[in-house]
Amino acid sequence: MTFTRRTLLAAVSAAMVAAPLAAEAQNLPRNMRMVIGSTSTGGDTYQNSAIVAEALAEKLGINIKVDAVGASEGFKALGRDKRGTTIMMFHDQSFLGNLYGVTGYADPFADYLVGPTVAINPGNAYLVPADSPYQSMEDIFAAAEAGTRVRVAIQPGGVSEIGFTAMKNAARVRAPGSEANIVAVNTGSQSDKNQAMWDDLADVINGSIQANEQFTQLDPSDEKAMRFVWITARPETLEQAPEAGMGGTTRADMLSYASPETSVTLDGSEDFTFDKEFFLLFNKDMDPEIITAIDTALTEIYSEGAIQERQKASFFIPDFLPSEEAREHLTKKRDTYKQVIDDITSGS
Amino acid sequence: MGDLTRVTIDFDTSHLIFPTLIAIVLGLLGLAIVIRDRARIAAAGSYWRASWSAMDKPRFLGALALTLLYFSLMVPVGDIWPNTGMGFLLCSIPYVLATGILFMHERSLRQILPLLIVAVVGPTFVWWLFTYPLFLTLP
Amino acid sequence: MFEILTPLFVSLIVGGTLVGIIFGAIPGMTATMAVAVCLPLTYSLGLENGLALLLGLYVGGISGGLVPAILLGIPGTPSSITTTFDGYPMAQKGEGEKALRIGIVASLVGGLISLLVLDLFAPTLADFAIKFSYVEKFLIIFFALTVMAALSSDMLLGIFSGVLGIFVALIGTYDISDGGNGNLRLVPPGTEYWLESGFSLLPVLIGLFGFAAILEQAEIGVPKGHSSKDINVGKHSRFSFGIFKGQSINLVRSSLIGTFIGILPGVGGSAASIISYTNAKTFSKTPERFGKGEPGGIIASEAGNNGLTGGALVPLLSLGIPGDSTTALLIGAFTLQGVQVGPLFIGNNPGTWDAMIIAMLIANIAMFAMMYFAIRYFALVVTIPKHILFPVILMMCVIGAYTINYGIMFDVWTLLIFGVLGWLFTKLRLEVAPFIIGFILGPSAEVYFVKSLESFGDVTIFFTKSWIAVILWVLIIGSVAGAVLMARKNRQIAEEPV
Repeated sequence: MTFTRRTLLAAVSAAMVAAPLAAEAQNLPRNMRMVIGSTSTGGDTYQNSAIVAEALAEKLGINIKVDAVGASEGFKALGRDKRGTTIMMFHDQSFLGNLYGVTGYADPFADYLVGPTVAINPGNAYLVPADSPYQSMEDIFAAAEAGTRVRVAIQPGGVSEIGFTAMKNAARVRAPGSEANIVAVNTGSQSDKNQAMWDDLADVINGSIQANEQFTQLDPSDEKAMRFVWITARPETLEQAPEAGMGGTTRADMLSYASPETSVTLDGSEDFTFDKEFFLLFNKDMDPEIITAIDTALTEIYSEGAIQERQKASFFIPDFLPSEEAREHLTKKRDTYKQVIDDITSGS
Repeated sequence: MGDLTRVTIDFDTSHLIFPTLIAIVLGLLGLAIVIRDRARIAAAGSYWRASWSAMDKPRFLGALALTLLYFSLMVPVGDIWPNTGMGFLLCSIPYVLATGILFMHERSLRQILPLLIVAVVGPTFVWWLFTYPLFLTLP
Repeated sequence: MFEILTPLFVSLIVGGTLVGIIFGAIPGMTATMAVAVCLPLTYSLGLENGLALLLGLYVGGISGGLVPAILLGIPGTPSSITTTFDGYPMAQKGEGEKALRIGIVASLVGGLISLLVLDLFAPTLADFAIKFSYVEKFLIIFFALTVMAALSSDMLLGIFSGVLGIFVALIGTYDISDGGNGNLRLVPPGTEYWLESGFSLLPVLIGLFGFAAILEQAEIGVPKGHSSKDINVGKHSRFSFGIFKGQSINLVRSSLIGTFIGILPGVGGSAASIISYTNAKTFSKTPERFGKGEPGGIIASEAGNNGLTGGALVPLLSLGIPGDSTTALLIGAFTLQGVQVGPLFIGNNPGTWDAMIIAMLIANIAMFAMMYFAIRYFALVVTIPKHILFPVILMMCVIGAYTINYGIMFDVWTLLIFGVLGWLFTKLRLEVAPFIIGFILGPSAEVYFVKSLESFGDVTIFFTKSWIAVILWVLIIGSVAGAVLMARKNRQIAEEPV
């Protein structure tokens, strides 16, 4: 093979070729490294990073390598490099890990610079076995209120736990004390969570539309069959998903599991929602001009529209906000979740 | 009986259970070894002295020292030209050469020349391979 | 179903297999890395062609590891550790070429058997695999750990080394992504910055096997000449297929064990060859020859690790759950193309399924053809003078360590730390093989042990969970008893006056 990875990548993104931003390019490092908060090179963080890195590299006329070093190594690499040759792509886990007090997570708003958001993975969901007595979140809250223990399989300390915390919070708002009956089963990967359901160690599991949808299409008599009960995404986010949805679940089906049709209340009036948003993080001391260059480049890339098609093809919802707006939005988001987490951990 | 076998695990401290268990097993095994091999352990001093005097000190310690130097310099050198893999390239060539010469017995030009070629071509080829077709990060 | 056999499809498989073999053969570079590096390419290649490339890389990468394992005693990939146990002694006896051929044939058979199992029984086996809860998975790991006893030349020191391996593997956080609580333990104060995620397997492996071996050579002054004086490739004993006579049970059993371990998500790739090796030794009529250059050991190890390839695809394609770290990356190839993997995959995408089976078949054949006829060139490695070979190996170890986790310098230091430790081990008569097995299996042993108790709250669960658990206990007891009997026999032989 005479093709190299670069040339092929370049060919793929030929549609996005445009004049590089000549003026800013002088201050830009010619070789950038984008570390990501996940060690998986096949996962959603990597895919999003690859899409954005490719488009950015093309637009700015520089090289960008994506390195799946994982959260704590990623933060270390970002913290060490003040020249701006290292940037990081991660999602809400960056601040949720900090809120839940996980080892290796500093406050990203204080220790790093939160940059532009690029996309949402709308897939975060909760499922029950197909033969579960619980038809909806209503049933689950009612059971908790009636004194039945509802076991929820999650991976503690972040994105997987936030929906569980929200469930406890909603139970508390509806019937104070009933939140004690919603208990966590701490597991690891998606495979562990599914296994916990099949081993009858959990009544509800955290999962995703992407990973679990096919299980919801199995014949209910199949012991592996599941049903969605809650999709945490905002309805506005899901509405941007392809109408056909995914597999046998249409967008309309998805919306029926999300707010407002499926309500997990935040405070009795508003619903709790959670979108897993991907955004860039920068070193605090890096040259602000580099950040401006990235913001400008991304603005142009998003106004051209090709990147959105690629994101949607992989079931991501395009969600570009330049640094300033993104920071404001994410700070607000963090504060909401902080409140929910504080209420639950202090209350129980 | 049923109660004796029951255990409750507190998730917040569950990270200590297995290490504690393994540490106990390790301690017991260590104790058994000390008891069984007490004679050999008592003779450890002379054993280490003998192996120290039999050691080819320049080659062994030299290889360690060169490696320490190699690892320590790679990142600072690489930081001069960030994300280009130059740290690896510029440190590997002298390292391969120096270690090769250290391990060599007759240091004649005829011996050094092939080594020199390998020391230049090897790291350069690897650096090229990783930087371009494979697109992986090197220090 | 044969219209997918385009020249591009076939050449991608063959090319992928070749690149995979090279990755596998370089100590420190793995099949996982080969797949990760080539994953972005698949976006432009399309699903079937992209998978052809990745599956070629996968099969080649798993197979290539046997070359340095046999010729240099350094496993090219973690799953070829057990190949070094008998392959390297054979090479030192001048049977390097024979050992390579045995390994390659065993790899082919392992790959083909597991492919057959994948093709015929994938959904059924996936349904069986989900019967394995934490308890059964712990017992499987425990069974694999019993190989420590069988491998040790001094049982007490060997088991101590193995338990030490487990202990060292626990350093760092109790990993959240495995179900832990993310808290640090066994980390000395002041070293949290580096040891937070513990030591990575690959640098530890190449440190203990590669770096340490070179340090040992340096200590005795790097004896003159080249390695071929020690490793006389294929002069003494020729390879013939007759070697496999009497090994057919071992071959099929190891392939099936490898396949089955691959099917169980979370048990891990390296466990496959370790468990087949344990079994081969336990059931062998001449267990005392294992570890000293027994062809059966190479057969077990290589049939086992190639058996993994088909097995690991079973949960991926019938549950959407990867069976090992390499197949985890394959999920990325599917999602890049917008194809869902899950229980409906095979039914919804019969064309892709057929393409994958054909690609695996071609990859196995290509692997065999390329490796079998390239043996003479592989063997050239040992004719390189040591003063050139060693520095180059050291440099390659550095590359492997640095790139395995995409650029973490601490992994390179790990290499040095474990190189020195490996050298110290030999001085202290501790044993490297049990140590590394403990190190590999330690983290899974922990998670499954603790989670079993956490979920079921009773220690009797390990005996009463299911009939699978009972069978596993029989195997564990058999393996331990075998090791004890053998140790006793060896002692009697040693004590008998000549």
